[in-house]
Amino acid sequence: MASRGVAGRGIDWVNVVLGAFVVLFFIFMLAPILVVVVVSFTSAGYVTFPVPGWSLKWFGHIFAYQPFVDALIVSIEVAIGATVLSCLLGVPACLYLARSRAAWASAVMTFLLSPLSMPMIVIGFASLFFLSWLGIGVSFNALLITHTIVCLPYVIRTSAGVYAGLPPAYEEAAAILGANPLKVFWHVTLPLIRPGIMAGSLFSFLTSFDNLPISYFFGSARTNTLPVVMLSYMENQFDPSIAALSTLQLVMAVAALIVVDRIYGIDKMTVAA
Amino acid sequence: MTIEFTAPKAKPAALLRPWALVVPAVLFLLVFFVVPLVENGLRSVVNDAGGFTLSRYGQLLTDSFYLRVTAETVLLSAGVTLISIVIGYPVAYFLVRRSGRWAGLIIFLLIAPLLTSIIMRTFGWQVLFARRGLVNNVLVDQLGLIDAPLRFSNSPEIAVAALVHVLVPFMVLSIATVLQSIDLRLEESAKILGAGRFRTFWEVTLPLSLDGVGTGAILVFMIANGSFVTLVLLGGGLQTLPLMIYQQFNTTRDFGMASAMSTILLVIAVVCLFLQLRLVRRRGS
Repeated sequence: MASRGVAGRGIDWVNVVLGAFVVLFFIFMLAPILVVVVVSFTSAGYVTFPVPGWSLKWFGHIFAYQPFVDALIVSIEVAIGATVLSCLLGVPACLYLARSRAAWASAVMTFLLSPLSMPMIVIGFASLFFLSWLGIGVSFNALLITHTIVCLPYVIRTSAGVYAGLPPAYEEAAAILGANPLKVFWHVTLPLIRPGIMAGSLFSFLTSFDNLPISYFFGSARTNTLPVVMLSYMENQFDPSIAALSTLQLVMAVAALIVVDRIYGIDKMTVAA
Repeated sequence: MTIEFTAPKAKPAALLRPWALVVPAVLFLLVFFVVPLVENGLRSVVNDAGGFTLSRYGQLLTDSFYLRVTAETVLLSAGVTLISIVIGYPVAYFLVRRSGRWAGLIIFLLIAPLLTSIIMRTFGWQVLFARRGLVNNVLVDQLGLIDAPLRFSNSPEIAVAALVHVLVPFMVLSIATVLQSIDLRLEESAKILGAGRFRTFWEVTLPLSLDGVGTGAILVFMIANGSFVTLVLLGGGLQTLPLMIYQQFNTTRDFGMASAMSTILLVIAVVCLFLQLRLVRRRGS
C-alpha cells in the first residue's frame, strides 16, 4: 500500500502536499493550546507572547485567590457525584440494552444518548425553572442532577460498547455452575466490563468538570463551579492566572487520557466517539 | 385439570425482569431532562396573563432583528461545518491512507485537544490575538509591517477559527471511520481500468466516503449551533441564539422570549438528531 504511486517517480508529490497540509493542521490545532501553557509560566504581570521570562508565580496566585479554590472544590465534588450517579443509573441499563435485540431497546438507547445532542444552554435554562419549581433551585443537588443528564450518555456508551463485545459464554458458565444473577453480575460481568465503566467515568468526570453552559445557571457563592468563576474572571480581567489554571486542568486531562489508553486503548475510544 | 407451575415465587421475580434494569435511567431522564424541556416549550406559548400566545414566535420569525439572529446562528454553524469539511477531509485521508507509522501520533494529537477545557482554548485564541499577543508582536516587532498593534477583539473571523478548532476533530474522526471501511479493491479496479489517481479519488473514493462527511457535518453543525462559551468570550459582534438566551436571562430577563429561542434551538437539534439516526441506520444496513 505504501509503495503505490511512488514507483519510478522519485518523489510522490501528493504525499508531500498532503503531509505538509497535515503539519499545518496540527500547528493550527496545537498553537492555541501551547501558547496558554507557555503563558502560564510567564514572569510578566500581564498577558504577552513571547514571554519575557519564566516564573511559577501565577500558579501560586490561583491558589491564593479564594474564589478559584472554592470553585475547584465544588467542581471536583460535582464531577465525582455526577459520575457516580451516572454509573449507578447507566451500568444496569447497559446490561440489558447491550444484549437485547428488541426494536424498542435501540430506541431506548437512542433516548439515553440524546442529551449529548441537545444544546446545553437550553438544558441549563430549562432545568433552572423546573428545579426551582421542585424546590431545589440553585443548589449543589441541582448541579448534581443536571450534570448527570449530560454525563450519563458517556458512561452508557462506553460500558455498552464493551459489554456488547463480550461473548455471553462466561456468564452462562457461571449461571450453569449455580451462581444466582447477582453473583454472576458481581463476580463475572462487572470485572469484565470494568474497563468500559472506567473509561466512561473518566469522560464523564472531564465533561462535568469542563461544563459551563449548564453550571452557569446554577451559580451562587457556594455553587460556582470552576468554569463559571473563570468566565466571570475573564470578563473583567485578562491575566495569566487563567493560563495557569488551564495548564493544571490540561495536566489532569492528559493523565486521564494516559489512564484511559492503558486500560481501554485509544483506538477503541475513536470507535466509541 | 390445570397444571400448576411453581408460580408463587415468580411474583417477586417479575419485578426483576431484565428490562427493569433500564427503568431508573429512563425515569431519571424523563423527569429531569424531558419534562423541563417540555415545560420550557409551554412557557414560550403562555403570555403574562396566563393565556395562550404565539406572539413570541411571530416576533422571532418576522422581526428583522430576531430573524437576523436566527439566520446568523444557522449561517455561522453552516460556515463552520463547511470549513471543517474542507480542512478535515485531507487530514482524515492522510490518516487512513498515508500516515503509516504516524497514525498513532495523529490520533493522539486529534484526541488530546478534545480533552482540554473549552476555556483554555478560547483563552489561547485571546493570547494569540491580544494587544501584546503573538500575532501583534510578530507583525510589529519582528516584521515591522505595522506601527501599532492591531485590535482584533471585534473580528468574527477569530470566533469562526476558534469554533473550527473545537469541532474539526469530530469531522476528521467521522470521515476517517468511513474511509477506513472502503474496500481498497474498488480503487485498485478503477486504476486497473485506466483511471488516474485523481479520477479514482473523484469518482470512487470521494463518493464512497460521503456518508462520513454527512455524519461529521451533522455532528459539527449540531454542536456549533449550541456553542456558547467560545462566542461569549470571542464573539466578535456575532449575535446567535445561545448568546441571546444568555443575554435575555442575564439582563433583559424576558424569560418567555428566552424560552421561545431555546425551543427553536431545540427543534434544530432534534432535526439534526433525526437526520443523524437515518444516516447511521442506512450505513448499518
